[in-house]
Amino acid sequence: MATAFGGAVTVLALAARPVGEAPGAVVAVAIRYEWLFWAAAGVLAMTGIGNLAAFGAGLSEPASPWGTTLMLKLGSVLGLVILSLPRTLAVARLSQSSGDLASAAVVRIRNLYGATTGAFALILALAIWLAHG
Amino acid sequence: MNLVTWSLATFHATTFVLAIVLFAYSRGGLGAALGGLNTFVGLGLFVALWATTYFTTARALRGLDLVRSARDREAYARRTVRWGARNGMAFLAVLGVVALSAAIANTRPDQIGLGILFPALLIAPIALVVSAAVGGAVGVIFGIIDLGLFALAGMSGQDSEPTT
Repeated sequence: MATAFGGAVTVLALAARPVGEAPGAVVAVAIRYEWLFWAAAGVLAMTGIGNLAAFGAGLSEPASPWGTTLMLKLGSVLGLVILSLPRTLAVARLSQSSGDLASAAVVRIRNLYGATTGAFALILALAIWLAHG
Repeated sequence: MNLVTWSLATFHATTFVLAIVLFAYSRGGLGAALGGLNTFVGLGLFVALWATTYFTTARALRGLDLVRSARDREAYARRTVRWGARNGMAFLAVLGVVALSAAIANTRPDQIGLGILFPALLIAPIALVVSAAVGGAVGVIFGIIDLGLFALAGMSGQDSEPTT
């Protein structure tokens, strides 16, 4: 979670600098993040299911407040994973660009990683609610 | 290793598992299903699915450039049935080997032949056909979703160079 969330914040911060880093450098960092993001997504899904398995038959009913929050969290994670694929593809496309990258590419990256950071913040809030709520 | 292959394979494995978990939990059946697993078996099954999905996705993408070529994206969509079916069979094979090993380890040696191996031989062909059908169907669904997400990423229509 720290890798996926922290990495998204880092790329967002790089892309949000007022004068702007060299677009090629921002894209290079974003590409490295995408490799890590998908590794983290797989590990998070794997350990998340493992944690649910530890509850076993003692898992709360879906209609309970805890169950509703869990479904909201699972739905948010699913939505984040689905909407992350276009982000990865867009970054891969930018990285394969034959010409110099324009500052518009940095704006696009800023928007993509801003949305990713927001989604992670929501999931983190739901996870904290599930653990302590 | 290629970023598009890595992201697509992980996307398929995680989305598939998350969708099943969300569906099962919303119907109230997840607790009972997970009760039969322990944490390590669950982790192992996910790793197995991740590995077979990576291998089959890599094979489905072999020789294709999905980022630059619309024609390659269409070719990929046509390959999803075949490689989805193979993924289903590969995952079943992993499950089968693990289940057989566990069963043999917990059975008296004189009962392994008739009690374990013979029924497994009878069931295996039917199970492989079913897993291929399910895998193929899931492959087609993911092929359609993938094309939609490619379009969302600005990769649709004719071949084009990325915009700068």
